[in-house]
Amino acid sequence: MKLGAFEELVLLAIGALGDDAYGVTIKEILKEKTGKKPSIGALHSALYRLEDKEFVTTHEGGATAERGGRRKKYYQLTSYGIRILEEANELRMAFSRNIPGLNLKTQE
Amino acid sequence: MSPINSHLPKLADKLLQWILPDHMVEFIIGDLEEYFAMRQEKLGLLRARLWLLIDVISVCGSFAFKKIRSNSNYRTMFKYYFKLSWRNMAKQKVYSSIKIGGFALGIAATLLIALFIRDELSFDKHYKNQDQIYRVLNESTHPEHMERWSAFPPPIKPALKNEFPEIQSVGRLINFDWFDAGSNQFRPIEEKANIYEEGFVYVDPEMLDILEISMVYGDQSALDNPKSMVISKSKADKYFPNQDPVGKQIILNENDNSIYTIGGVMEDPRTNSFFQFDFLITLKAEEFWEGEQTSWGSWNYSVFVKMKEGGDPRQFEEKLLVIRDDYIVPYNKERGDQRADDMAKYYRYDVQPVGDIHLHSQVTHDNLKHGDIDTVWLFGAVAFFILLLACINFINLSTAKSANRAKEVGMQKVFGSVKSEIVRQFFTEAFLYTMVSFLVAVGIVLVSLPFFNTLADKNLSIPFSEWWLVPLLLAFVLTVSFLSGLYPSFYLAAFRPIQVIKGNLSRGAKNSKFRGTLVVFQFATSIVLIICTIVTYRQMDFILNKKIGFNKDQVLMIQGASTLGNKAEAFRNELTRLSAIENAAYTSYLPVDGTKRDGNSFWKEGRRKEDKGVGAQKWRVDENYLTTMGTKLVAGRNFSADRASDSTAIIINESMVKEMGFENPIGQKITNSFEPTFHVIGVIEDFHFESFEREVGPLSLAYGSFGSIMAVRFQPGNTDQMLAQVKEVWDEFMPNQSIRYTFMDDSYARMYDQVNRTGKVFTLFAVLAVIVACLGLFALSAFMVEQRGKEISVRKVLGASTTQIFGLLTSNFVKLVMIAVVLALPVGYYMMRSWLSDYKYHVDITWDVYVIAGLVAVFISLLTISSESLKAGWMNPVKKLRSE
Repeated sequence: MKLGAFEELVLLAIGALGDDAYGVTIKEILKEKTGKKPSIGALHSALYRLEDKEFVTTHEGGATAERGGRRKKYYQLTSYGIRILEEANELRMAFSRNIPGLNLKTQE
Repeated sequence: MSPINSHLPKLADKLLQWILPDHMVEFIIGDLEEYFAMRQEKLGLLRARLWLLIDVISVCGSFAFKKIRSNSNYRTMFKYYFKLSWRNMAKQKVYSSIKIGGFALGIAATLLIALFIRDELSFDKHYKNQDQIYRVLNESTHPEHMERWSAFPPPIKPALKNEFPEIQSVGRLINFDWFDAGSNQFRPIEEKANIYEEGFVYVDPEMLDILEISMVYGDQSALDNPKSMVISKSKADKYFPNQDPVGKQIILNENDNSIYTIGGVMEDPRTNSFFQFDFLITLKAEEFWEGEQTSWGSWNYSVFVKMKEGGDPRQFEEKLLVIRDDYIVPYNKERGDQRADDMAKYYRYDVQPVGDIHLHSQVTHDNLKHGDIDTVWLFGAVAFFILLLACINFINLSTAKSANRAKEVGMQKVFGSVKSEIVRQFFTEAFLYTMVSFLVAVGIVLVSLPFFNTLADKNLSIPFSEWWLVPLLLAFVLTVSFLSGLYPSFYLAAFRPIQVIKGNLSRGAKNSKFRGTLVVFQFATSIVLIICTIVTYRQMDFILNKKIGFNKDQVLMIQGASTLGNKAEAFRNELTRLSAIENAAYTSYLPVDGTKRDGNSFWKEGRRKEDKGVGAQKWRVDENYLTTMGTKLVAGRNFSADRASDSTAIIINESMVKEMGFENPIGQKITNSFEPTFHVIGVIEDFHFESFEREVGPLSLAYGSFGSIMAVRFQPGNTDQMLAQVKEVWDEFMPNQSIRYTFMDDSYARMYDQVNRTGKVFTLFAVLAVIVACLGLFALSAFMVEQRGKEISVRKVLGASTTQIFGLLTSNFVKLVMIAVVLALPVGYYMMRSWLSDYKYHVDITWDVYVIAGLVAVFISLLTISSESLKAGWMNPVKKLRSE
């Protein structure tokens, strides 16, 4: 199963947010970490794909007044999702090690 | 779960509900609301709303096609619709191919005509300063001679330039056979051989700028020097390949006064422009005779102006009357012209936008080849009707087949389909049929374009490279499939399931009446077109074979004879010595297009100040002219070379006798304004020297033995041998100029090309309409035979003969066609009467036209129905009855 670059970021964000990962918070954390604002359309379509590929599970809840009474859809990494992230990371590291002069600050 | 308070506009909410996957709608909308709340606090209401809008668009964009792509109902449904439609189409091959074939023909005709109309409308619409370029026209609103013409006297240019500040520049143009304008024998000065070229015009240097002519060599000042000339790229390539010809000299007609220097090379004129000339000769410092440029008496110049930005052409048009009042009327008054008063009353100007020249100049004398806005409308209407016929066929055939589809619809309904779904299915089917027909139609267009181009005298092609083509065609397909699918869809979807499954589908009388109406309409249209075809052919036949007052057959016109100079007489003598040649006349004036004309005003001697002049042609001819042309003298005598006094002799036609009011024309003295007085020595029979659109006008023949054409009457017999002999003589005299000739009857027929072409176009349309209508009729009759199969069998068993069965099946259709004939006759009569009224001399529409058109329609329809009906009559009744 393929994992796009943006999808990977979103997946990371979901992992980092733990129990509080839904549309708004995911977007906020992406904005904070990358410094770029993802478009809502792109974000939701990525979420849709991630769910479709079963990298994440969802559950619903937490309707508030400011949401016009609509519930939130919370996202959580599945074990499959975690493994995909690990694979992506490994691939990247394996590649990067072969590049002379590339400073890998892995231990921080 | 109803929202507490929503900031999303209702429309956006609906849109999202529709586009987003169902399991995500609520949450995404919730997120949007939350963002909105956050932003409202931070950025204020207005900007929060703006952002909301952007977010909605972004979400919609990302999910637009997800729903269809995913395994939703839509996809399955459409797949199912297409599959069903396709199977239906494949199941009944004859029926489907008739449906598609008829439709494709209709669409192909519409596409062709659309291309034609597009080209006609595109004429002269390419200028950068489109709304600043105008042509000035003269207009006479005199009740007896309403006219528009383009020619002005030469001083119009300084007058316009000096007195009208709203004009940026003025340019004049001479585009008829006049001095070196028109056609010439052409050669670069260092060459020997003369080559015949057409498309010479005189223009002012300003015209290059006004008409935005782009130059290949040289610039906009290319015509600024006297005796300079601009030639087109293709002519430059022909005479000066691979070089810059600026500065080269050329000579026309071996005439030392006609030596020109090439000042520049222009791009070839666009095909969709009135400006179709290859050689532009400058008018700079040109004066054709002494005092010509300052005289308000000789009308030869077309006038184009470029207005300053923001200039109002209507205001300019009103102001132009100054030219009439300050120059033209005073000039004519001063010379005692009786028409001066009429002029002040009826004469005015028309400022015509350059884009209107091609389609809006029908009644304008300007020697240009025009289109005609009426033709464009007519073609458009015909295209519309043929498309309509094709759509009707589709509707007719679809509803006729309804019985077969009724069970299918019933079953679907029983299994829970609702009406809207069935409607959608039949629309899909209509779309599929239209799409297939459309592809076939594009194929037909591609194949037939070359023929159509010859027919319409055009150079059309499908504009594949235009970005709008595909969306436009798609929109066309959608519209047509919607129109043709509308009735069948709702008709079929309205079936009641229980009844149709029980099998008692009422094939209501109402429905067959509707189909009958459509058949009548189709045949009425076809019959109108048949009538149009017959009448145009008769008119053409009339034109070609009417007694026209001269004998156009067996006359050879040797062109470019002016270069013979003083050897002309010797050449003529040599020719007439040939056994095949009866006679030969030397002239520039002949009663066919493309030869010279010279309009004059004549008065009785001494009455110039008292009477209104008679407008008449004055042609210079020699003493052999009348015999060569076969024109009859009704009084007096012909010219004679031996009488010196004949240099002022004149022969006039009967029409001129009447106009001048002569009782005894022979010996009368008449005068135009600038030549010595002529005395009338003979009267000839009227002959048609102009198009049939106009009455034969006054014509006078004056004596002169000079011209550009040698008209040769030859004996019937071996034409090739005669031509070879003539060519031999010519080559002896003119070794450096190849002989160029036309036959007079060809030239004559070419004058009526338009009629001929109209006839052919009508034929084409009539054939198309008949084919489409017959396809429909054929399918209908086949269907009816199928439906009444059992009835026919029972009748046969009970003793009905084949003839009776045939009569039973055909009488209904024949009745419909007869109704169509009755309806079509007045329409056809009305249309053709108005077409014929353009011609002063025309055929009458006699009763046999209708009889022929009606018989053709009945015969063709009978032929169409009979194969199926006869098959039914001959069929073994057992076959149909056995099954139950």
